[in-house]
Amino acid sequence: MTLIQPVGALSFMALSVVLFSLGLYGALSRKSTVMVLMSLELMANAININLVALSRFSAPAEMTGQFFAVFSMVVSAAEIGLGLALVLALYRQRKTVEIDAMQELKG
Amino acid sequence: MGYIVAIPLLPTIAFALLAPMSGRVRNKAVWVSVAAVIIALALSLVAFVQVWPGGHEGEAVYHSSAVFASIGTMDLGVGVLLDPVSAVMLVVVTLVGACVQVYSIGYMHRDARIGWYYAVLSLFTAAMLVLVLADNFLQLYMAWEVMGLCSYLLIGFWHEQVAPRKASLKAFLTTRVGDVGFALGLAVMYATAGSFDFSVVLHDFQWAPAAATTVSLLLLFGAMGKSAQVPLHVWLPDAMAGPTPASALIHAATMVAAGVFLVARALPIFEASGVALTVTMLVGVITALAGGMLAAVQHDIKKVLAYSTISQLGYMFVALGAGGIVAGFYHLVTHAFFKSLLFLGAGVIIHAAHTQDMREMGGLARKMPVTTVTFTIGSLALAGIFPFSGFWSKDEILTVLWHGEHYVVFALALAAAFVTAVYVARLWFRVFTGPEQSELKEAHIEMLVPMGVLAAISAVIGFGSPYFAQFLGHEGEWPAAPIALTSTAVAGLGLALGWWAYGRRTKVLNTRPLKQRAGFVYGALTMKLYFDITYDFFIVRGYGLLADALAVFDTTVVDGIVNGAGAVWRSGAHVGALIDRYVIDGAVNGTATLVRAAGARVRRIQVGRIQAYQGLMVGAIVLLMLWLVVKGA
Repeated sequence: MTLIQPVGALSFMALSVVLFSLGLYGALSRKSTVMVLMSLELMANAININLVALSRFSAPAEMTGQFFAVFSMVVSAAEIGLGLALVLALYRQRKTVEIDAMQELKG
Repeated sequence: MGYIVAIPLLPTIAFALLAPMSGRVRNKAVWVSVAAVIIALALSLVAFVQVWPGGHEGEAVYHSSAVFASIGTMDLGVGVLLDPVSAVMLVVVTLVGACVQVYSIGYMHRDARIGWYYAVLSLFTAAMLVLVLADNFLQLYMAWEVMGLCSYLLIGFWHEQVAPRKASLKAFLTTRVGDVGFALGLAVMYATAGSFDFSVVLHDFQWAPAAATTVSLLLLFGAMGKSAQVPLHVWLPDAMAGPTPASALIHAATMVAAGVFLVARALPIFEASGVALTVTMLVGVITALAGGMLAAVQHDIKKVLAYSTISQLGYMFVALGAGGIVAGFYHLVTHAFFKSLLFLGAGVIIHAAHTQDMREMGGLARKMPVTTVTFTIGSLALAGIFPFSGFWSKDEILTVLWHGEHYVVFALALAAAFVTAVYVARLWFRVFTGPEQSELKEAHIEMLVPMGVLAAISAVIGFGSPYFAQFLGHEGEWPAAPIALTSTAVAGLGLALGWWAYGRRTKVLNTRPLKQRAGFVYGALTMKLYFDITYDFFIVRGYGLLADALAVFDTTVVDGIVNGAGAVWRSGAHVGALIDRYVIDGAVNGTATLVRAAGARVRRIQVGRIQAYQGLMVGAIVLLMLWLVVKGA
């Protein structure tokens, strides 16, 4: 067995799972809203890796996954802009960005 | 001759107009009734003249009929049949009816319900006229029952008092006993002859003796109820609780004569039977004698006249039983006039003397001349004194009996005539002679005129005796001397005895020793020959016991069933209420409780922390994926 083997689809997907899990953990556990948004970015990028990798190993000629990844990044950029703007607006009102402070809709 | 139909129709219209009015308006509208009966009288006289000189043995002068109901092949008709018999009856009924209605204006003018009184009188007159004009037995029966109703209403006219109420019930129920016989007779008649029509039943159909006996005895039983013959006579004396003019019309002149009329109409059936004739004669003679003797011990002036009516009706039955249709019918006519006259006179006397008890009356002769003269004419007619009407008709009856060789009955009839004369004298002398009462006043003119009319008729009608027979289609004869003399002598003796006992002295004779000496007879007579007691004991009391038993049955069994059903229903309702409370309400409340409890639990998820929601979402997605994996495998 050799130490270096050709990098397969499984390796990319493993990386994607690790990244996604880290993002999910962050999104569920961080107190700061900014950190939660960053974790969401991690999860989105994990999916982007998945898209590119699966496209590269299944139908490289069409490059569908790459196109999707580019779209996804653009949407993520827009989303994070909006999210940070919301965080700024919240901070101006409440002087905090702690996610636990936002419980007005509790039933 | 279609106007004949108007004769019974006029009083019917008067009734139909008066009956729905309010009491106050009706009291002012009594002239409608009077006018109707007077026009009917005029029409009846025209009809009589048109039938004159009669003589066509049972043939109808005018006949029209209409079918009012068909049951299968059976046509029930109403008709108008004008023959000599009905022509005579028309005049009698409307004449007496008119006299009584005019008289009642004076007699009843203070009564608060005079309007209703006139309405019923009109209905009665209409029914009697329908009966008289009937061309079949069923129509006759219907009119007969309407008259029974009117009699009931008029006897109980003053229903605020107990006696009229009881008397009206007694009269209605007693006559009903007879009516059952009548109804059964009609059933047998239809079963045998297949028709109710006079033309079929009386002329065309050939009666077998057995069937004829059944039918005629049943019809006779009905007639006995209506005409108050022993033993169904008990209602008539009590019926005197009604207004006196109504008694004059219904319980003296017309309705009680309907029984005689029925037997006279149905006489061909009786003759086909033979036995029935004998029974009729026996019933009649027993009634004539018993009624006369009972009249002789009464103190109430109206009851004397009532028993006298019973006795005279018995006379008519005797005549019919002996086959003397003319004699019986003629006595019906004369009796109608003189007895209604006597009743109207009694009404005047009662008004003046303020009592019905003859022992408290006296000396009316000098104060009330018109009443005295008219009443005397009526009394002499009743006693059978020449030349007043009763003499002629009684003489005819006796002649029939003599020629029919019914010698025992002849003797009994003479005895009855004797008793009649005695009680007539007793009544007359007690009321009109003796010590005078104070404050006696003659009656109003509208009461005296009808009495005068009736008195005039009673005085002269006898001379028409042979023509009457010819009018009915039989041979008429003047009375033969021997029988006429015998009956006059007997009546004279009776009057003399009455005078000796009651009229001889200025003070009334004390009859106590006589009563003590003949204690048993007098006792029996004052107890009305024990009829009422017997009926009380066996029928009324038995009926009472039955009613009591039924009442017990009613309160225990019937009420038990009803109350039991109620109780069952109520417990069922309790169960229903429980079901309602626990099951239905439980379901509703339970749903609410469940939803609330679920809500209380579910709300805990809604903690408000975004990350908690995120966790849930992730958990749910993981579970979903696991499920997909498991399912896919």
